[in-house]
Amino acid sequence: MRSVRSLHTIINKDGQLLRKQPSGRIIAAFAHTEPAETTEPPASFAEVEEEKPPQKLNTSRLLPQHRKMLREERPYSEPHSWIHTTEKYNRMMFGRYGLSSGVDPRICFPTKSDLEEQAEYERVAFPHTIPEMIEINKKAKEEKRAQIRKREEELEKKLEKLDQWKRELNAKIAKKEAEAQAAKERKERLIEEVRRHFGFKVDPRDDRFKEMLEQKEREDRKKTKEAKRKAKEDKMLAKLQETAKGMNEKDTKGAASKGQIEDKD
Amino acid sequence: MGSVTNTTEKALKMLRALPRVTIGNIRPNPDSKQRSKRGRGQHGGDKHGAGNKGSGQRQNFMRLGYETGNTPFYTRFPYEPYYKGHHLRREYRPISMLQLQTLLDTNRLDTNGIIDLTSICNTGLFSIKPDERQYGFQLTDEGADLFRGKINIEVQYASDEAIAAIEKNGGHIRTAYYDMRSLQAMINPQKWFEKGVPIPKRMVPPLDAMEYYSSAERRGYLADPEEISKERLVLAQKFGYELPKIEEDPDFERLTATKDPRQIFYGLEPGWVVSLKDKAIIKPK
Repeated sequence: MRSVRSLHTIINKDGQLLRKQPSGRIIAAFAHTEPAETTEPPASFAEVEEEKPPQKLNTSRLLPQHRKMLREERPYSEPHSWIHTTEKYNRMMFGRYGLSSGVDPRICFPTKSDLEEQAEYERVAFPHTIPEMIEINKKAKEEKRAQIRKREEELEKKLEKLDQWKRELNAKIAKKEAEAQAAKERKERLIEEVRRHFGFKVDPRDDRFKEMLEQKEREDRKKTKEAKRKAKEDKMLAKLQETAKGMNEKDTKGAASKGQIEDKD
Repeated sequence: MGSVTNTTEKALKMLRALPRVTIGNIRPNPDSKQRSKRGRGQHGGDKHGAGNKGSGQRQNFMRLGYETGNTPFYTRFPYEPYYKGHHLRREYRPISMLQLQTLLDTNRLDTNGIIDLTSICNTGLFSIKPDERQYGFQLTDEGADLFRGKINIEVQYASDEAIAAIEKNGGHIRTAYYDMRSLQAMINPQKWFEKGVPIPKRMVPPLDAMEYYSSAERRGYLADPEEISKERLVLAQKFGYELPKIEEDPDFERLTATKDPRQIFYGLEPGWVVSLKDKAIIKPK
């Protein structure tokens, strides 16, 4: 029914034309439902139907463009929308319907400016040639390897000294501990002495105890000082004695040699 | 008779004392179906899946990853090096050697030409999505011992075992890189040709892929052919098989056919337009 209605509109639109040329062509147009191609319409619809009854009636109810697509033809021979004038659409028409689409295949190819743009893109996006890229990769890899090697060497050098450092550290710790132990023992000894002095257990927080402890500590300090001084003196003495002894020996030797000389004379 | 009337009267009296049978006094029949109430609106007046109360009902959704006061999972771990650059990494979809053998056995691949990404996509069993950074296929070693095909194949990534399995059977393998635009043309050539656009030119691989595609060990398409023939021997010794002499093969030409580094379809050059309807190639001047 759609096709009949569409035909009606054409007849109404170009009423004069229809009256001019009576022919059977409208039947064909009717059958194919191609209103665009009805350039030579007949005088009137009723007249034509009386003359030649339609042989083949399109009852598909498809729109003409869809019917064309079904027959793998270009749907619109003339642009129906601004989209149909675009390059992309026309390329697609050629791609789909080939040379029969009536599109000049030259539009499928890039223009000179397109090619220039493409070349510029490639120049910017891929600035290096393949051998250059290989070289860059190789260099980067070598650099990384060199860095690793350098770090490993550093580590090896440090590892050599590790034992020594360990020993030093252990000695330091041991010394500290010994000192702490000595101080503790001394304190205990002093407390014990104070207790012995009083003859009974005194609370370490007691003032008497504290006083006594201070005194003892003072004494102790004095004693240590004295011991230190004595040790120093002893050392000096020993040194002096040694030098004196050496001098003596020299003297005796010299005397002996002198004596020999004298003897010779 | 008298007793009968008496009984009737008694019954009537009893009835009169009973509550009346009215709509208010009757109950539904036992086991009768209770009709649910007819709610208003599209889903019978419910909450349309949004729940009752709170941000669910108000549909003011929390931002992604927010855990209502907990330290969000995505900020909980300060250092995740394994995700570095994950959005830029290339993915190669795996095809095992067993799957490849099955494709050959079921006659889904044409062994007369190069088996490339297009022919694998054309089987309809494997596909890639270039826009999801899938850059092609990789051959994995599963079923490498069962492989018996003599083929000329081009994939994007291949394990040593897969290369060995193909070369052991007298085949030829190359690993090749395709950029995203070329991949779009390759996964569905018909769609590309129907756009009426020239065949694109294959771009050079990026810097980080260059090492792979230029190494003879990986059978890269940019590697020196002489070095590749050396590496073929090396691999044969590594896996302990005798390398078939491909030079003396009657199908030598067919087996060693390769594409140009700039070419994406074998036999078609970049810049040509193909009209499938006319079965014609249109070349630029």
